[in-house]
Amino acid sequence: MGEQADGEFGTPVLGDFDDPLRSGRRCVVTLSAREMNVQRSGYQSREVMQLVDCIGCQVTGHELSVYFYPFGKSWPQAGTARQRLVLRFKAENDEMARRWAWMVRERSRHELPAQDGCRYGLLPQPCRALVLVNPQGGSGQALSIFHNQVKKMLMEADIQYTLLVTDKQNHARDLMRTAELSQWDIVVILSGDGLIFEVINGLMERADWRDAIQKPLAILPGGSGNALASSINNYSRFPPVTGNNLLLNCTFLLCKGLISPMDLMSVTTVSGHRLFSFLSVSWGFVSDVDIESERLRLIGGARFTLGTLWRLASLRVYRGKVAYLPLEAKIDSSPNSQQFTTGTNGPKDTLLVPLDQPVPSHWTLVEEEELVLVLGVCQTHLGEDFICAPAALLSDGIIHLIVVKAGISRSALLSLFLAMEKGTHLQVQNPHVLYIQTRAFRLVPHSTKGYMTVDGERVECGPIQAQVHHQLGRVISG
Amino acid sequence: MGSSASQLTKELLSEYQELTFLTKQEILLAHCRFKELLPKESRNTMDYRVPMEKILTMPELKSNPFRQRICYVFSTSEAKDGSLSFEDFLDFLSVFSDSATPEIKSHYAFRIFDFDDDGTLDRNDLVKLVNCLTGDAPETRLSQEEMNQLIGNILEESDIDKDGTVNLSEFQHVISRSPDFVSSFKIVL
Repeated sequence: MGEQADGEFGTPVLGDFDDPLRSGRRCVVTLSAREMNVQRSGYQSREVMQLVDCIGCQVTGHELSVYFYPFGKSWPQAGTARQRLVLRFKAENDEMARRWAWMVRERSRHELPAQDGCRYGLLPQPCRALVLVNPQGGSGQALSIFHNQVKKMLMEADIQYTLLVTDKQNHARDLMRTAELSQWDIVVILSGDGLIFEVINGLMERADWRDAIQKPLAILPGGSGNALASSINNYSRFPPVTGNNLLLNCTFLLCKGLISPMDLMSVTTVSGHRLFSFLSVSWGFVSDVDIESERLRLIGGARFTLGTLWRLASLRVYRGKVAYLPLEAKIDSSPNSQQFTTGTNGPKDTLLVPLDQPVPSHWTLVEEEELVLVLGVCQTHLGEDFICAPAALLSDGIIHLIVVKAGISRSALLSLFLAMEKGTHLQVQNPHVLYIQTRAFRLVPHSTKGYMTVDGERVECGPIQAQVHHQLGRVISG
Repeated sequence: MGSSASQLTKELLSEYQELTFLTKQEILLAHCRFKELLPKESRNTMDYRVPMEKILTMPELKSNPFRQRICYVFSTSEAKDGSLSFEDFLDFLSVFSDSATPEIKSHYAFRIFDFDDDGTLDRNDLVKLVNCLTGDAPETRLSQEEMNQLIGNILEESDIDKDGTVNLSEFQHVISRSPDFVSSFKIVL
């Protein structure tokens, strides 16, 4: 009974516990810097759990419960889907249980997956979260998803939450613009990309935007457009998953609490409005409408509909000009970069000149003016099954520009979209497809008829320009 | 049912306006264009059926990959040869006109895609549909893998009752989500 405890961090600690599942039996738990080893008396083999998979523990009296979410070992989902695994131990007394809980939590927190080249921070523990849920998301399932799946994990990870159900468009945006943010350590968004867009823009509309935008955001896929969640799953080097498994991975990441900086694009439209985008600016070939959120989905997130095929049959050409700042350009700042009238918050767009002036001379103009599609994206994914810019990173400071020129055959365009499901579309050198890495670009369509979107939200079709703001936002990632 | 005069009578003109979505101007223009497709000796009878090959020479149809299916769907010929009478021609223009409702358009789009005319879009219809789009030559056709991926996607997106085929209402549901389906399902002379 008891333990050989050398509390110094990293040194293995041994503890003797009662096994609450088998009365009268004991088990020896060894906690190292990375693992928890459980040797149950009478059993030959040991259970080895990785602390990197642990999201927290709870203590009730003498009993300690430790919550793990490792990737499952059983077929058919071996290695791809996480499964919940709870280990329970009965300590000699309350104090031992609490001490062990503390040690497990400490060691789990230090086992952080690497995010190369990025500064990162950690959510405090315990943590106060504002959870925003769009009740229409996930075919109306978002709320029950929260209650049945997410809530439990938050409790296991000591995340105290305030639930707020949005009741109309811009509810979240208005809230973020005016709320007292210090009451929460993190804002959790259980919805699709649309709600994230509202939150980010609400935060940027504040006078204290500089601090407000540093409030960490966590994204739990609960809608039909889950591009950011899928991208984060990708950056965390988890196997590609969708649906419930994606939700589980994202909730897991939230519980681990690793905060990473995220690039945002500042987008100026012809009406003079400036928006902040975390995902994409797009124009041209559009496939369908995301019925839940009524946002336009470009190419249906590569999930083909018959509408897409018809659109291909009558493939339109969109006339417009694209110009961008070459990545290698030495002159970065323009002498008459955009100044803003008072009242508009946010960082200055030092790379851009006002829309009514010609682009700076060191910018490159794309020669062709007959185009099919123009996409400027910050993330890898534009949808759960749609990898637009496989090389993108959460904060690489780059806008990935894809321009598809007219003249591309229907067959090649179809192949392109199909390849985008796996992100292999850039491997084939198609002379009609341009892939450009840049920090700023401008798009001037010849006509105002047509569909232009920012993060899936339709905006006025007309001249539009964007610049990246490196590491402006904060998001939970892995 | 036809007219033996080369001009449209007032009565016929208003009848056509009633029966189709076309305006008076559009019907008159259609009449002109149809006459041009007739061989010289038949230009005084409007009973004539223009063979499909001649219809396909129209610039408005030439580059449409579904042009043959369009002819077959609108043709009322007993020989099922895709030939169009003037009234068939008007029907076709009516459905593709600006004023036709989305329901009518999607209904006909479904019939056009239904290559075997059996009332549902099954895998074979979808394969033919895709080949129509890409062109049937070996260089332009999709690879077998791409074809399977695409058909799989379409069925997953459109086949709501998961019976392996897309019926009219599933089709119309899916089409209603395409914001520019209606504007692209348009042919105006």
